[in-house]
Amino acid sequence: MTFTQDQSTVIEISPRELYARLLSAQPLFILDVRNEDEFKRMPIEGHATLRTLNLPYFDFIEDEEAALARLPKDVEEFVVVCAKGGSSQYVAEVLNNHGYRAVSLTDGMIGWGNYYDVRDVVNTTWGRIVQIARPARGDLSFAVISDGQAALIDPLRHTNVYRELIEGAGAKLTIILDTHVHADHISGGPALSKETGAPYYIHPYDAIHPIDMLPAKIAYEPLRDGQIFQIGQVRITTIWYPGHTLGQVNFLAETPDGGRYLFTGDGIFLRSFGRPDLGGKGEAWTPILYRSMFEWLPRYLTDETVILPAHFSTLDEDAGNGIFAAPYKQVRAQNDSLKPCTLEEFTSFVLSHLPVFPPEYVEIKRVNIGLVEPCEGKASELELGKNICALAG
Amino acid sequence: MPQFDQTLDVKGAKCPMPLVKSRKAISELPVGKVLQVISTDRGSLADFQGWVKTAKNVELIAQETVQENGQELYVHYLRRTA
Repeated sequence: MTFTQDQSTVIEISPRELYARLLSAQPLFILDVRNEDEFKRMPIEGHATLRTLNLPYFDFIEDEEAALARLPKDVEEFVVVCAKGGSSQYVAEVLNNHGYRAVSLTDGMIGWGNYYDVRDVVNTTWGRIVQIARPARGDLSFAVISDGQAALIDPLRHTNVYRELIEGAGAKLTIILDTHVHADHISGGPALSKETGAPYYIHPYDAIHPIDMLPAKIAYEPLRDGQIFQIGQVRITTIWYPGHTLGQVNFLAETPDGGRYLFTGDGIFLRSFGRPDLGGKGEAWTPILYRSMFEWLPRYLTDETVILPAHFSTLDEDAGNGIFAAPYKQVRAQNDSLKPCTLEEFTSFVLSHLPVFPPEYVEIKRVNIGLVEPCEGKASELELGKNICALAG
Repeated sequence: MPQFDQTLDVKGAKCPMPLVKSRKAISELPVGKVLQVISTDRGSLADFQGWVKTAKNVELIAQETVQENGQELYVHYLRRTA
């Protein structure tokens, strides 16, 4: 067989199509041809209907027949995936030549990792709440748009996505809000603020790097507990919620039709909650998180309040339409970590269930407050892999 | 820099070509001889390590990262063992 990348006749699947198929819960088979370490670090995840096999592309180069023999026989179509989209084309072509049906993911994991999914949570007379997700990382961000004004909450690194959204809605970016200074991904907030002139808000407690004990070098406006923003017809209230970070806040958006939408950041997630140790002070911050979660949060939550967190852990948290939000009543029923417990029970649970602490999270926090400025390659490397911000109860 | 008998320049070639061409070049090399592969694809570092684990007659002697005109080069030394 001869192979030239330019003349490949392999059919490609875009990240958008892949995401639609992952959400649909239809049977899907991913043949991941990256090396084992890369595969383990960041596999493509989906519902239980997704089957995945890691068989590196060099196994096909070394011994094509042996590699082909390892493929399951009951698969209708293989979606072949690699790092950048070249090797997956190569392997898909090998498969096609042997009578298998195979397609190649465009731009590989780079394309998948940088894919953004934009969809409305609400779109009604007073305006819109839009969810902007980066599915590969489990990152969620939001736009509140009303009467030509827009607020962004926890915008992610690729700022063009947000500018196009707001421009397309005929609105002007008024404020940029981060629920906290993130550890797992690089915020788009400071860059968007520079590009558009809209002020960037974080709580001042998060403007000090918790490990380095150094102050932020970025321009920001300090958030305070109880601070209110008016975006067209929507009122957004800042509620301090320390624990995951000392300056973590929730934003409560109240709409003219009586709707309540709580942007929880890394406070509570749909089936878990934000871990209190990423500042390196897990033991000291756990009781603070307990107070936020069990004493303060219930006071401003109603059963109907829609919870919109900054992360999902699995696609199963999807409400069925690619929206990772649910009324509190439902969240309470499916999130065991919200069940009442004593401080002692909570502390002992948290401290014995902490997931690994990814070392790059310390550096990402430095980036987010301007202590270091990475180039594109480094930024993209820091963001490899899925977020590990959650702790499940 | 280890001793080598032949050089394969795959600068600019994207994955999977560095490995495809290396496999072919090794197969044409006499047993015991060493091939130097010069690549600009950073992914080749981990992929060559993975490949030689299952490859029939290839040993990875060394890998180097060197700078050339502001560009990073990833250099692999492969010996044909059988």
